[in-house]
Amino acid sequence: MKININNEVIFASTGGRAFEIKGHPLWFIHGSGQSHLSFILQGRFFANRGWPVISADMPSHGLSSGAPLATIEAMSDWQIALMDELGIEKVQIIGHSQGGLIGLDMAYRYPDRVSQLSLVATALSIPVNSNLIEMAKNKEQSAIDAMIDWGHGPEGHNHDNTMPGQNHLNFGVQLMAANKLGALHADLKACVDYTNGHIAADNISCPSQIIIAQKDKMTPMKFGLKAAEALNTNNITVIENAGHMLPSEHPEEVNRALRTFFTKS
Amino acid sequence: MTGDYKFDTLSLHAGFTPDERHGSAAVPIHQTTSYVFKNSEHAAALYNLEIGGHLYSRISNPTVAVLEQRVAALDEGIGAVATSSGMAALFVTVLALCSAGDHIVSSSQMYGANINLFQHTLSRYGITTTFVAPNDPEAFAEAIQPNTKMVFGEVIGNPGLDIMDITRVGKIANDAGVPLVIDATFNTPYLLKPLKNGANIVIHSLTKWMGGHGVALGGIVVDGGNFDWGQNDRFPTLTESHFGFQGVNLYEEFGPAAFINRVRTEGMYNVGPCLSPTNAFHLMQGIETLSLRMDRHIENTKKMLAFLSSHESISWIKHPTLPEHPDYEVAKRLMPKGAGSVIACGLKGGREAGQSFIESVQVASHLANVGDAKTLVIHPGSTTQSHLSPEAMKAAGLTDDMLRISVGLEDFDDLKSDFEQALKRASKARS
Repeated sequence: MKININNEVIFASTGGRAFEIKGHPLWFIHGSGQSHLSFILQGRFFANRGWPVISADMPSHGLSSGAPLATIEAMSDWQIALMDELGIEKVQIIGHSQGGLIGLDMAYRYPDRVSQLSLVATALSIPVNSNLIEMAKNKEQSAIDAMIDWGHGPEGHNHDNTMPGQNHLNFGVQLMAANKLGALHADLKACVDYTNGHIAADNISCPSQIIIAQKDKMTPMKFGLKAAEALNTNNITVIENAGHMLPSEHPEEVNRALRTFFTKS
Repeated sequence: MTGDYKFDTLSLHAGFTPDERHGSAAVPIHQTTSYVFKNSEHAAALYNLEIGGHLYSRISNPTVAVLEQRVAALDEGIGAVATSSGMAALFVTVLALCSAGDHIVSSSQMYGANINLFQHTLSRYGITTTFVAPNDPEAFAEAIQPNTKMVFGEVIGNPGLDIMDITRVGKIANDAGVPLVIDATFNTPYLLKPLKNGANIVIHSLTKWMGGHGVALGGIVVDGGNFDWGQNDRFPTLTESHFGFQGVNLYEEFGPAAFINRVRTEGMYNVGPCLSPTNAFHLMQGIETLSLRMDRHIENTKKMLAFLSSHESISWIKHPTLPEHPDYEVAKRLMPKGAGSVIACGLKGGREAGQSFIESVQVASHLANVGDAKTLVIHPGSTTQSHLSPEAMKAAGLTDDMLRISVGLEDFDDLKSDFEQALKRASKARS
């Protein structure tokens, strides 16, 4: 659905089903240079089971207009503004990669608006390589290609897909290329600049979950385990043989883990 | 590049992971119509496209899916749907994009069945086509109308061997908000990847060089994912509620994969031109050696061109790699490895000489196909087009003296000897 936020039209997927506020909706937050399409199979899975789902494209991403946001805090504020616009009091967050940092920040700074937090392939900080940031600024296609390469695990690289006939790597490239120019650079810069992850984790009291990709090259497993320790949670799922883009490469395992954690109203 | 495996590795491995239970090294043939659901929820999830898997082999099949994933990888597409033939691939593509009242701009020089589909079949359902010369990019620009839903052509036209400058035509089409759909059967992704050179959708007749052994029919549609279906209101089949899929807007739900999802959820579901898993297996056997075969096809084609060019019985010869071909420069730019292995040539003595030649070859096979490992020859004037007058042949881009040769992989010395003796007999027939 299309929504007006800060005088910009933005798009939020509802998982292919009409959205109706019931309890605390599942609130998906995509990663750097991604869009709601990162969570196609999560959104559809939960929406078809009666869960209210929102998976928004942040400004300059996917089908949303507007300038890219420069900091993780600004992204959190934007998510809260979207919740306000939709009249939603509390959400259950699923944040992938950079989306996990946003989720952390929301749960820390807006504790009354977040009831549960699931961090998927993320960490308390994401120190992006400076060469990649430079590439995203000056040679965006090269940065996209590099991230698609590093982001995918064995299935992606072998062009094996649970969805018949579909291709992870080339879809990933087109998904990222569809964003507005500059969106990826802003995202990566925001990740590097975010240093409040440890403080946020120490102060978050809502239940949390960590989903880790065993072969994640972008936010390696050890960082996910550190995040779990800081959040003081033992709800940890490690998905074997998975790369960073596990929501699309290992959708059933991710959905299973999320389903056991979240509460349906 | 995404750090992807190279072409030859993808030809052998892409899309297949041996299953843990059996570890079959070759892709198993899943000769089944249906798949047992784990429970009701699993069944519903498959119907709702929430999880991967297979429901019914008209829509998808595990063996066919490996083929689809392999060809998508080779063509650098975001996804593919395999069909029972190349013609079926073209039809489901049109079905996904066009409705009554819509319009297509197409090359005028291409495979007869493609022309027939546009000119005679689709027109009965209210879809009209404007045909333009494939090597006149500006003609495509002039022919595009507000209701045009696709621009279509073959990279290497069959049988005339005209070359479409897909980079230029692709830009013209995309600037007008229309996708370029390319039949890449004659080039295969080994000689040219259209999706990286201006096209948005590629179709192949896998029956030809991709399968390469003349044992299985098949086709495929590959989606480049590089066309923004929401940039205008031309494509309601993709950007408005899809009747066959819970009213979902495919563009919003699947983004770059809207088109290929429409092909599967409408073309395969409602029409059903599915590929048999056994054919998919045979086609993959061919794809495993695609680059090796194409190199040999090209090598033998060069030798055949040299042989025929200097033969006294040949009045003219046409191939895009010959400098006198009008599209020589375009072919060289688009396909530096070679511009396919079909040769058109004229035989002195017209229809009678052609008939004699065709009936005299012994190594080459006289049949209506191209892209086999074996050399194939046909004389349209005495066979497929024998009912046409010389004037009608000319209008179809054919001439009475024309031979079409699909150069195979035989030892060239044997091919040369075979052609020499058949040309000698043809020469006697005309005298």
